[in-house]
Amino acid sequence: MGSEKPNFLWPTNLNCTATKRFWEGLRRRQFWARRCRDCDETFFPPRSHCPHCLGNNLEWVELSDRGTLYSWTEVNIAGPRFDIPYLLGLVDLSEGIGRIAAKIVGAEAHQLKIGMPVRIIYADVRGDFSLYCITVDQ
Amino acid sequence: MKSRVAIIGCGAVKIGRYPDRAESDLALEAIRLALEDANISKEQIEGLFTTPDLLGNVGLQTSLLCEYMRITPKLMAEISCGGIAGGLAIRCAMNEIMLGNIDLALCYGAEREASIGWFKKFGSDEGSTMLEPIALQPYASHGTIPAYALSACRYMHETGAREEHFALAAVRNRMNALNNPLAAFTMPITVEDVMNSRRLCSPIKLLDSAASLDGAAAVVVASEKLAEKVCGKPVYIAGWGQYHDNSCFIPTDRCDKSITNFIATHRAAEEAFKTASIAPKEVDVAEVYAPFSPCELMIPEDIGWFNKGGMVTALERGDTEVEGKIPINTDGGLLSRGHPWAVTPFYETIAIVKQLRGEAGKNQVDGAKIGLVHCEGGMLNNSLVIILRTD
Repeated sequence: MGSEKPNFLWPTNLNCTATKRFWEGLRRRQFWARRCRDCDETFFPPRSHCPHCLGNNLEWVELSDRGTLYSWTEVNIAGPRFDIPYLLGLVDLSEGIGRIAAKIVGAEAHQLKIGMPVRIIYADVRGDFSLYCITVDQ
Repeated sequence: MKSRVAIIGCGAVKIGRYPDRAESDLALEAIRLALEDANISKEQIEGLFTTPDLLGNVGLQTSLLCEYMRITPKLMAEISCGGIAGGLAIRCAMNEIMLGNIDLALCYGAEREASIGWFKKFGSDEGSTMLEPIALQPYASHGTIPAYALSACRYMHETGAREEHFALAAVRNRMNALNNPLAAFTMPITVEDVMNSRRLCSPIKLLDSAASLDGAAAVVVASEKLAEKVCGKPVYIAGWGQYHDNSCFIPTDRCDKSITNFIATHRAAEEAFKTASIAPKEVDVAEVYAPFSPCELMIPEDIGWFNKGGMVTALERGDTEVEGKIPINTDGGLLSRGHPWAVTPFYETIAIVKQLRGEAGKNQVDGAKIGLVHCEGGMLNNSLVIILRTD
């Protein structure tokens, strides 16, 4: 999966304490969310405070790499980072705690069906930085 | 509502591109027209409320206007809250009047998005963290079109709508814009034209999309007492609702939020109908804030005029055209009037005021007495609904 090479000078906030571990997880092919030690809420995307109780006594938990395709689009508008066109999928994480919006690789538009199982995969886009993508589960 | 507040004057410039005119220039043009329409003098302005000046950012634009107009208001504020800012400016004016602090306020906004291109920052590293402050979803953080495209794709899946139905809404808007002198897009289009227009993010194409353009508009808001004295045709603010669905844009926190029904629209409308003591079907004409054609189907469903997916057949039947059951966006909507985003709620309000005064020309809805203005921020996450009526 090293073939995905977005034009990257981003993100600039890799050292943000609330999310640093998330980016480090991607380097290790792990997908992390946060769990509140006080109220047991697990949430994604990772943030500094628990959205349920607003506490910040948090730990990191590893999620599975599974999800379900909730919607998708073929992006044809040029942006500064990614070559177009690419397929963008919105995915319900299988733990039911949140959604990811990421590039779909290894599938054509006509193969996509809302509700189909998908899997998170990883792409090294720079020496120190990896991104997550999604692929159709085989 | 305890004491009533009325809109007594409207003014706006034609939406388009003004590369050689300052915001203050466009704003003053709209303000002069609004004051003339209201038949009041600038010295009567006690409150001044405006939408964000995104380049200024220090909140001095009302001060500048005061100097340029030589006026001395008692109250003023620049209101920032995404796409609903213009609607909230009107609400601030209404609240201050209802509190008895002032009798007359001017609400205005000027936007030069086409000339300045602030929104283009969404595609840059500088602006990429706007929609999600910690930016963990880079593939979706570069603008609004992919987000609305995901919503549209899901809507087609859930309702059986086809791209042609979205195109029907775009064509309806365009036909209405032909008779709106303030509209930017006045070349007739067909469903085929929309279908053949450039694909942006499937299923959204160029003619399914609102263009960010330059514009300026102003409305004069007054106490009932003052309105009755100076204005022959006051239009009263009869109801009000606002609701936020706790998503900033695409709902990614949890999996339980729809991207085809937006609870913010539904709840805001529900509250507006309640405060106005009317049923949804009593509305004669409406303006909905739909930046992309698929939203033209979702918003009327969320407001309560149609069941989920009901807009598909409604569009086929022409229910939302000027002669239809519930005429929507008789001024051309965001798609064909053009979309100076922060100012759009003023243009929507002006469209409804003209309808209720019987001044909508060829697009006049016969006997329109109750109108609805909807605007939103985010991806329909923050919605605001105003009910206006003549009596």
